[in-house]
Amino acid sequence: MKAIWTGSIGFGLVNIPVKMYSAVEDSSLSLDMLDKKDHANIRFKRVNEKTGKEVPWENIVKGYLVGDKYVVLDKSDFEKASPEKSKHVEITQFVNLEEIDTNYFEQPYYLEPDKTGTRAYALLCEALLKSKKAGIGMLVMHSREHLCLIKAQEHTLVLNRIRFAEEVRDPAELKIPTTKSKPPELKMALSLVNQLTKKFDISAFRDDYSDKLMKLIQAKAKGKTIKVAPMKVVHSNTKDLMEQLKASLTPARSSSRKKAS
Amino acid sequence: MSATATNKRKPTGLTFTNTEKIYWPKEGYTKGDLINYYNSIAPWILPHLKNRPLSLKRNPDGIEGPSFYHKDAGEHAPDFVTVFPVDSKSSNKVIDYIVCNNLNTLLYVANLGCIEMNPWNSTMQHPDHPTWLVIDIDPSDNNTFEQVVETALAVKEVCDKGGLPAFCKTSGASGMHVYIPLKQAYDYDQVRDFAHIIAGLVHELVPDFTSLERSLAKRGKNNIYIDFLQNRPGQTLSSVYSVRPVPGATVSTPLEWKEVNRRLHPGQFTIRNISKRLDAKGDLFKGVLTGKANMAKALDAFGA
Repeated sequence: MKAIWTGSIGFGLVNIPVKMYSAVEDSSLSLDMLDKKDHANIRFKRVNEKTGKEVPWENIVKGYLVGDKYVVLDKSDFEKASPEKSKHVEITQFVNLEEIDTNYFEQPYYLEPDKTGTRAYALLCEALLKSKKAGIGMLVMHSREHLCLIKAQEHTLVLNRIRFAEEVRDPAELKIPTTKSKPPELKMALSLVNQLTKKFDISAFRDDYSDKLMKLIQAKAKGKTIKVAPMKVVHSNTKDLMEQLKASLTPARSSSRKKAS
Repeated sequence: MSATATNKRKPTGLTFTNTEKIYWPKEGYTKGDLINYYNSIAPWILPHLKNRPLSLKRNPDGIEGPSFYHKDAGEHAPDFVTVFPVDSKSSNKVIDYIVCNNLNTLLYVANLGCIEMNPWNSTMQHPDHPTWLVIDIDPSDNNTFEQVVETALAVKEVCDKGGLPAFCKTSGASGMHVYIPLKQAYDYDQVRDFAHIIAGLVHELVPDFTSLERSLAKRGKNNIYIDFLQNRPGQTLSSVYSVRPVPGATVSTPLEWKEVNRRLHPGQFTIRNISKRLDAKGDLFKGVLTGKANMAKALDAFGA
């Protein structure tokens, strides 16, 4: 695992240097987009919508639409708005975990103590477990501020990013019924709920789409339908490579010819 | 912001540390000597670093200590440092590359213990389009420097045939680098393929002691590696005028083609004597920054 953030966690007078690792990973396969004809990789270009021409990085700015006009922001504008760089998460309060609605939860990360922080780390962990509480603080990452909570999971501290209130929508716009159910119906529904209630076991649920797809890929790779991408590790065939490169340069040439005429 | 007439204050964030630390034990050169070298060479090296993100290779304990790459160095850099953010696909985060566009940045980087300056082949304005193609002539322990020279001359011969400008420098260690300035119209894949073609043609000229094989096991212990894979995004060679972390404090030094002969010795240019040479010869690598070779024309000349 690769640390994605290093910094420290503080509570009261204690300071714990930590490394942060993503606690989750994407289970879907990473597939590449290819041209059907020759399996060349598809690449994206940033083009001007009006002229269709590619725009170099230096000429790209960011703007926000106000009315029918764009307000363009430059680097200094972003700097003024971004939070002060900080490598420290100060726990400013402790809360009972169940007070926080699951709607607010975002990305979880594992925290690993630095050598100098092992005792303080263990101490915070044990205190959180005993009290069944979690710490709340602010994390600055990628020049944005994130609200987060720090909880103990056995001997590991887990930092969970949580959403700000304005990021969660109000369901008031939806048509939600408030009718009272009839008592016999409710009684029946409740007994059904009780019958189907069991201990939650995450390992009982699997996303088998990726597995199925992988099996398919392996089968296809064994069969003759697979096309190996051309070239790569061709060392003696300078001639072939020349033809390939020449072909790849051709569109650039013809467009420059057009410009000249 | 108010403009001030005098701006001679030392910028905040530029303080030199451990300047007495020995970096080259045999010669007794210190970190301070390294910083002084880059201070004196700045007018020569800065044009070759300008606008190019740097892969910092740090040798905090000198040439005999461990070294490590430090790409994400921009995050803590002082205000005078230009930073180029790059979305890294592999680590899924933004890497802030340092771009060395002024003397203060150069000295800041040297103070971090960077003996080498390793700039990208492309600039932050057009990160996907290299401004030059590099052929890295990388000998094994069993090759003579004469063979390195012969390989460099073979690169020159191929370039001449293709009508390509070619500029040669010592790597500062045991090899040589040839730079071909390009029209900024090609992407990294095209430039790498073109470099592959050149390397193939060079190998045909000196087949007995060169190889295009990246894998050490397959390359053979007695072959010079004609490395064309340095023409990939994010790959870097030591810049011209960069010091190398090897005994002697040698400098990657540009050469006139007539100097590429049997009398050439890779260790002859160091931080001690390079400035005298520069006064006499000027910047022999100037053309690398202005040349605009056309790959399509060269391919035609190669008979593709």
